[in-house]
Amino acid sequence: MNAKEKVYHERFMREAINMAELALRSDETPVGCVFVKDGEIIGRGMNATNKTLNGTRHAEFVAIAGILEKHPISVLKETDLYVTVEPCVMCASMLRQYGIKCVYFGCWNERFGGTGGVLNIHSDPSVDKPYPVQGGIFREEAIMLLRKFYVQENEKAPEPKQKKTRELKTQILPMDIHAPKS
Amino acid sequence: MVADEPVASDLVRLGVVPRQGGLVPLRTKDEVRAALETFNAYVLEVPARHAGIVKDVVQAAIPDLKTADFQHLRRVVQFKYLPVHIQKKYRPPHPSRPRGDSGEVSSENDVAEDDDAARYFLISPSSAIAHAELVDVLKRNTPFADSSKPPVILTICVPALAPTSAEQAAKWSVEYWPISYKNTNPYGPHPSLVARNAAEIANDAGGLLGLADAVAEQTFSKGFGEKVACVVVDRTAGINEIIAVTGDCRWRCSGNDAPQRDGPGNVMAHAVQRAIAMVAKKRLRVAGHDPASKPSPHSFCDSPLTSLEEHFYSKDNIPSNGYLCVDLDIYLTHEPCVMCSMAILHSRFRRCTFGRRMPLTGGLTADNALPGKGGYISPTTGLGHGIFWRPSELNWKFLSWEWVEEDTAAMVKDSIKDTLQA
Ligand SMILES: [Zn+2]
Ligand SMILES: [Zn+2]
Repeated sequence: MNAKEKVYHERFMREAINMAELALRSDETPVGCVFVKDGEIIGRGMNATNKTLNGTRHAEFVAIAGILEKHPISVLKETDLYVTVEPCVMCASMLRQYGIKCVYFGCWNERFGGTGGVLNIHSDPSVDKPYPVQGGIFREEAIMLLRKFYVQENEKAPEPKQKKTRELKTQILPMDIHAPKS
Repeated sequence: MVADEPVASDLVRLGVVPRQGGLVPLRTKDEVRAALETFNAYVLEVPARHAGIVKDVVQAAIPDLKTADFQHLRRVVQFKYLPVHIQKKYRPPHPSRPRGDSGEVSSENDVAEDDDAARYFLISPSSAIAHAELVDVLKRNTPFADSSKPPVILTICVPALAPTSAEQAAKWSVEYWPISYKNTNPYGPHPSLVARNAAEIANDAGGLLGLADAVAEQTFSKGFGEKVACVVVDRTAGINEIIAVTGDCRWRCSGNDAPQRDGPGNVMAHAVQRAIAMVAKKRLRVAGHDPASKPSPHSFCDSPLTSLEEHFYSKDNIPSNGYLCVDLDIYLTHEPCVMCSMAILHSRFRRCTFGRRMPLTGGLTADNALPGKGGYISPTTGLGHGIFWRPSELNWKFLSWEWVEEDTAAMVKDSIKDTLQA
């Protein structure tokens, strides 16, 4: 990645980080994303598993649901994803089925990662076209947000609520954050 | 069973035709690997009283030999326990008289207690030492140093990993080499746990898959999606309380857009995704937060669209204090795609049963993950993900079965293409 490309990608990853910060303020696991077509953001999302009681409401699903309110499904084939944490196996498969162009992410996801962290759903044999991925953009910031969330959760009373939120962390477990596998 | 009657009669009233057949547990990814992986090992014929000495000689010659790595293979074996193909190599049938099995075996039994009777010693994986070097070492030591007979070493193929059931151990003992089974399954759920759970759900599975068929027919006939559906039940009280039923809705218009039929359609409207969303909405509703007051985006497709979907969605039959889909079972007409398989895992379902296996797209089965070129598996034989049971990598696991029709000739031949992501 040359300097010019770096500036381009960091601009969008900054927007994804902003979404993750919004998630943190909403007591959701801080994962955020933006979808970019022709240099323009066409959708934003953040994890919403706690609010919905639905363990599949990951940032990527939330953002695509918003995009499909205005755009045809085929728009995703011309779209890149910037997400603060590596997509999980579920989202990695969804993105491949929709035909996403490219995925850029911050930190790796050792528990659920579908684009290198655990499985390689983006490139494994499949009936759908593979897509390229690039991880490590603003990795430390993505990790720092997850750590903040973990601390925030632990400080929080009362016990029943804490238990509930812990059980709904399906997008990533904050204790699993790690550096890329060599 | 009397306890199952209310559910059964409810299904009959809804016009459901139960499927006839049975459940077959899926093999885990590690079980498939354990069943496929083999290595070559050396076997040596040695007089029984020298077996201990030879063991020491081998350990000295291969100091870093880790016998714990092949603990499932019996180390020293009597002739009568060898697989027939190995017996034949050590004692070929006499050419002039037909091999009288009874005679051979009884003479072997007669000398079994004799110290000079032969034992068959599994030395090591052949990768641990070169054949010539091994012969050399043996010839320099007791008993071969004092004997005119050279050591007779065979190279045989053996299973690399421990067996996962007593049946497998028995089969391997005939096919490869005597195997010991420790009554555990390190590569998947214990067979007795699987059998107990299968017995619990087997009676109703055909009816629930029949219900899934009826649900699929409804959404399909409205043009909403492919003929794929699922049923979510709570069986914690001993009877199946049906929580949600959903059909695939990938072709349903989203916003002002009708999905193109040659594309993937709306992937988020697969039956499993819709079912999980409806379970969550039901919990919110039961807890007093009306999900209808804040409608979710159209493309999540998480409201009932047919009479069957509405019938079960309208029942407040779920506790509000549960989370995700813990303790719930799911029945599907087809093996779910990788996305839906992982959604089932994320939602922490308890058990999963599906009808038709989808070798090109399914995420649950682990079979036939044969290595192909460049480290890839051949996609025509199954993707090999086995998402339901990978506890060392993913943080949840659940039991899974595929449904096999009683009349295999009448196996549900639906019109769905092999390449469909269910
Ligand atoms: Zn995800
Ligand atoms: Zn699916």
